[in-house]
Amino acid sequence: MKIKEIVVISGKGGTGKTTLTASLVPFLEDAVIADCDVDAPDLHILLNPRSEEEETFSGSAKAVINEDLCTHCNLCIDHCRFGAIDDTPRINPMKCEGCGVCEYICPVDAIALNDVTTGTVFKGMTGYGPMVHARLVPGEETSGKLVSQVRNEAKKRAESDGKRYVLIDGSPGIGCNVISSITGASTVLIVTEPTLSGLHDMKRVLEVAARFSGKVFVIINKYDLSVEMTRRIEKEAEDNNAPVLMKLPFDKKIVQAVTEKKIPSLAEPDLFEMAGWKNLLQRLRDPES
Amino acid sequence: MKIAILSGKGGTGKTTVSNNLAALISEAVLIDCDVEEPNSHIFMVPRITGEEEIQTGYPVVDDDKCIHCRKCADFCHYNAIIAGAAATMPLKDLCHDCGGCRLVCPAGAITYEKKGIGTIYTGKSRFGSDFLYGQLHLGELSGVKIINRLNEMTADRDLVLVDSPPGTSCSTVAALEDSDYAVIVTEPTPFGVSDMKMVVEMLREMEIPFSVVVNKAGLGDKEVYDYCRGENLSISGEIPFDRSVAEAYASGKLAVEISDENRSLYNTLWLNIRKEAEKSHEN
Repeated sequence: MKIKEIVVISGKGGTGKTTLTASLVPFLEDAVIADCDVDAPDLHILLNPRSEEEETFSGSAKAVINEDLCTHCNLCIDHCRFGAIDDTPRINPMKCEGCGVCEYICPVDAIALNDVTTGTVFKGMTGYGPMVHARLVPGEETSGKLVSQVRNEAKKRAESDGKRYVLIDGSPGIGCNVISSITGASTVLIVTEPTLSGLHDMKRVLEVAARFSGKVFVIINKYDLSVEMTRRIEKEAEDNNAPVLMKLPFDKKIVQAVTEKKIPSLAEPDLFEMAGWKNLLQRLRDPES
Repeated sequence: MKIAILSGKGGTGKTTVSNNLAALISEAVLIDCDVEEPNSHIFMVPRITGEEEIQTGYPVVDDDKCIHCRKCADFCHYNAIIAGAAATMPLKDLCHDCGGCRLVCPAGAITYEKKGIGTIYTGKSRFGSDFLYGQLHLGELSGVKIINRLNEMTADRDLVLVDSPPGTSCSTVAALEDSDYAVIVTEPTPFGVSDMKMVVEMLREMEIPFSVVVNKAGLGDKEVYDYCRGENLSISGEIPFDRSVAEAYASGKLAVEISDENRSLYNTLWLNIRKEAEKSHEN
């Protein structure tokens, strides 16, 4: 059976991706859970996985200059397109993208490219099923590669455990992290909020989702903050063939549940029930229903 | 002085803080470096006076010259060139524009062409101050070049406020380039604290002094305060959660526009941030 990947994204940050993903976990039996928000991973805080395996991830390399061999010809400085080499010359690892041009151009072989650890991948078991998450080394690039790694590990786990779904918590934005997490996924859930920012960012992420993945649905969080904006978001979503499946009100009880590290849908079942929870679950299990 | 406003976790209030400050301080230039999902222009409503397309390069292979030696594909660290026995195909989305393939090609078969990846808009905000924002084209992977250019365009300004991207990846590092000081906007929830820790680690690595603003104070719990105390981080201010501010935000209005109380809150916040920033550079 083909594994279905359900990805939760938002465009704008802080609209409630992790709140929603964690809430889905106990209700989506038969799933492997993956947190692909690798530079701000939070899902483990609510799901508290027991760690089974941990491995470092090397997504890139950085150049290093051996100052004893360097003849100060400055060819490396001239050829670096990333402005990563100063006049010393010394390489700024925050700017180096590991392209290897300086290593190639150096006439005295004074430059070497070394693999660097760009993140850690954690595999574990929650009370609701296996979970994979990762943590980017702060400031590193290649976060898109780390996202792919998490997704692949989760998929492998789903295959070996015979699970039907992989449920993915994505990252904000529309760049490489997001594209890596949604490409080829069967279902994308966009969590938005009824603000001009939420609408603006949803429009952009809707288009990216339509380009890279399958069925797209929208969830409006804190919908009662602005009835007018909620209406505009509903219209935009419908126009883009992305039905709004759930509207959750702003309620301090949800913040409270997260603060107490509880899964919001279990802590506040009535709130979710009234917001269209059953409808959402039904459509996730059978998107064409 | 260049001050970056950042957060780790999305939605904690980077745009809220940077825009309210920009509305108060007329001599400050605000730049929105969250080029994947820029929002500051929603509040600044700028009159746009300039537009610049930001481009990146990518290789093009001349099939008549290519000798199929595959050196370009072997060299490329991003797997952005597929080379077979009869064809060599660059994948422009994966290319970092490093120029390596052209350098190693013995047949001179590779040239670089340009494509647009985004746009920078320059203008005056509705508060009369200078404002710039960048926007990444949909489907593009990285906005780092746009962010670098935004920094370059404002390098000679006396006071720059940066609305940074969320997270701690390469875009955020690019936004922090040449920042003299940073302000972490967090919220008193476990998520806010967890994501903030990664930002603290990054700022320490980059040796940029910073302080913390706790937004949505009153929601959540006290963990963020315990963490700041434990790490000896100074808190420049607290912004209480206020539903009327959240509702105003929904329609593009800033806190400083809706009441004198909010105005004085942000005035005090600015005085504190400036004091902390100056203090950090005396040492």
